[in-house]
Amino acid sequence: MGIIHGEEMVLNIGPQHPSTHGVLRLKVRTDGEVVSDIYPVIGYLHRCFEKHCENVTYEQVIPYTDRCDYVASMNNNLGYAITVEELMGIEVPEKVEYIRIIMAEFNRIASHLLALGTYGLDVGAFTPFLYMFRDRERILDMFELICGARLLYNYIWVGGVSHDLPKGFVETAYGFLDYFEPQVKEYNNLLTYNKIFIERTADVGVMPPDVAISYGVTGPNLRGSGVKWDIRKDEPYSIYNKFDFEVPVGKGELGTVGDCWDRYWVRMREIEESVKILRQALKALPKGGDVHQAIPKKIRPPKGSIYKRTESPRGDLAYYITSDGTPKPYRLKMRSPAFTSISVLNEISRGWMLSDVIAILGSLDIVLGEIDR
Amino acid sequence: MTDDRDKLISEVVEKALQGDMDAINNIEDRVIRSKAKAALHKAKKAAKAVESSASDANEDKTETSPKAEQTIHQKMAILIEEKESGSVISQEGEEEACIYIKPESWESLAPILRNDDAMDFDSLQCITGMDMGEGILESRYNFHSMKLRHAIEIRIAVPMEKPDIYSIEQIWRIGDWFEREVYDMYGIIFTGHRNLKRMLLPDDWEGWPLRKDYETPQSYHGITVPKVKEEWE
Repeated sequence: MGIIHGEEMVLNIGPQHPSTHGVLRLKVRTDGEVVSDIYPVIGYLHRCFEKHCENVTYEQVIPYTDRCDYVASMNNNLGYAITVEELMGIEVPEKVEYIRIIMAEFNRIASHLLALGTYGLDVGAFTPFLYMFRDRERILDMFELICGARLLYNYIWVGGVSHDLPKGFVETAYGFLDYFEPQVKEYNNLLTYNKIFIERTADVGVMPPDVAISYGVTGPNLRGSGVKWDIRKDEPYSIYNKFDFEVPVGKGELGTVGDCWDRYWVRMREIEESVKILRQALKALPKGGDVHQAIPKKIRPPKGSIYKRTESPRGDLAYYITSDGTPKPYRLKMRSPAFTSISVLNEISRGWMLSDVIAILGSLDIVLGEIDR
Repeated sequence: MTDDRDKLISEVVEKALQGDMDAINNIEDRVIRSKAKAALHKAKKAAKAVESSASDANEDKTETSPKAEQTIHQKMAILIEEKESGSVISQEGEEEACIYIKPESWESLAPILRNDDAMDFDSLQCITGMDMGEGILESRYNFHSMKLRHAIEIRIAVPMEKPDIYSIEQIWRIGDWFEREVYDMYGIIFTGHRNLKRMLLPDDWEGWPLRKDYETPQSYHGITVPKVKEEWE
């Protein structure tokens, strides 16, 4: 029997919809329940980030980078600071490097917890969401301890960090890691190997590696497709070359390589790798040293352009900065990983049921603040 | 007394230079401690100056050795020139590592960049639009090869009156969205693009906001745009 084609219908999802993770609108063309085409409409959260940057000084850009990817602000600060430092040729003290790595990895765990928790929520598992938010809260408390802010930190500055670590931070951090490590096992029991969850995600929304590369997909989504590419390992920045950690890739353990479950599983294993890095960094953290020592009085980079990539929890976060020798950037472009991730949605969700589209969208882990900038 | 102090300071600075910062931090007297820190800073600066002059000398040496210093951009410029002669305009020095390409040769060159075995740029990292002033718009492409692990930057400059660049949307699929964003902000027309519409701004927006001569409109659909505040109003 052949496939029966019915009349096509256009369905509008969003911009206000809980499973679009922000203000995203999807124009979905469906044949019954089967999706034949998706057209994502973005720009609802556009705040002219790049235009703003041309009108403020280099220091003043940092709070704006916080607000792009608002669940991984530390990583956004870090990428920007490293890019400007390379343009100016600043070397930061070793202690600052260690503090930055610690913050970036803690933020990676917090960001992945949010991604995985809400992903469970998208496909109908409510409890893991609460468990993961409970633990994410502890990380946010630690960030509050170091800089007073819970989400938008403005902590990593060009040439240093805003505050030195408070007394007792290292003990608090160790305490958290000791508490957190067994929790990962609990998440696995609750969600990862849950029969219903596997049915919803394994073999769904398969993204072959060549499609992922052509669409510029990076980070855990690319690694979920089996491509071993992590900038922390392949083009080490800061002091990532000092740490020993694995780069997890999708292997198709419960379905096909590059399905939703693989992307989920890569994130879960990255949390464990981040814990490994954190333990090494906390152990080697230098005691003395001034975190403000290398902060320049005036940021005025020499003329020239730079394109520098870093690994944020969502993938390759890159800044393209052109300086004309004044205290304000001539041009600042942010290449955000979520922007490229969402572009592949149409390609990988054609032919799936409407409810699967929600599962595929959730597995891409998008943040609209970063897409629209 | 002063002799003792100087001796103490020079001792702790010596220790700190070997990585033992506690020696300075443990000094009780605040005045001596700050003096010691200042001396340490001075010593480090002097050490750095010596180091950098030494590395300068090294660089001078390597420059004289032929071929070894050829950058990826020089190598690629030669390769591109071999495949499409006359397409490379210029290949700049160290501080601006990039290759300028003629707009009219981009159509034949783009598939070569993607498919040639020696280049194999399978990943388009980013397209950045740029207003260079004096009526010139630029589109800058950052490419990366997943297999060969190298990256280059290609630049194409077009005049503002006729900003046409060939679209690479069908070669690298992400080019679709990147080109739309550049069109949205700079008004560069990517010829051959199948759906060249505004990306981040509303479809009925007028003007190209990231051009340097852009003026913010007074109102949008009857909503007045608040004027730019000066200082603290």
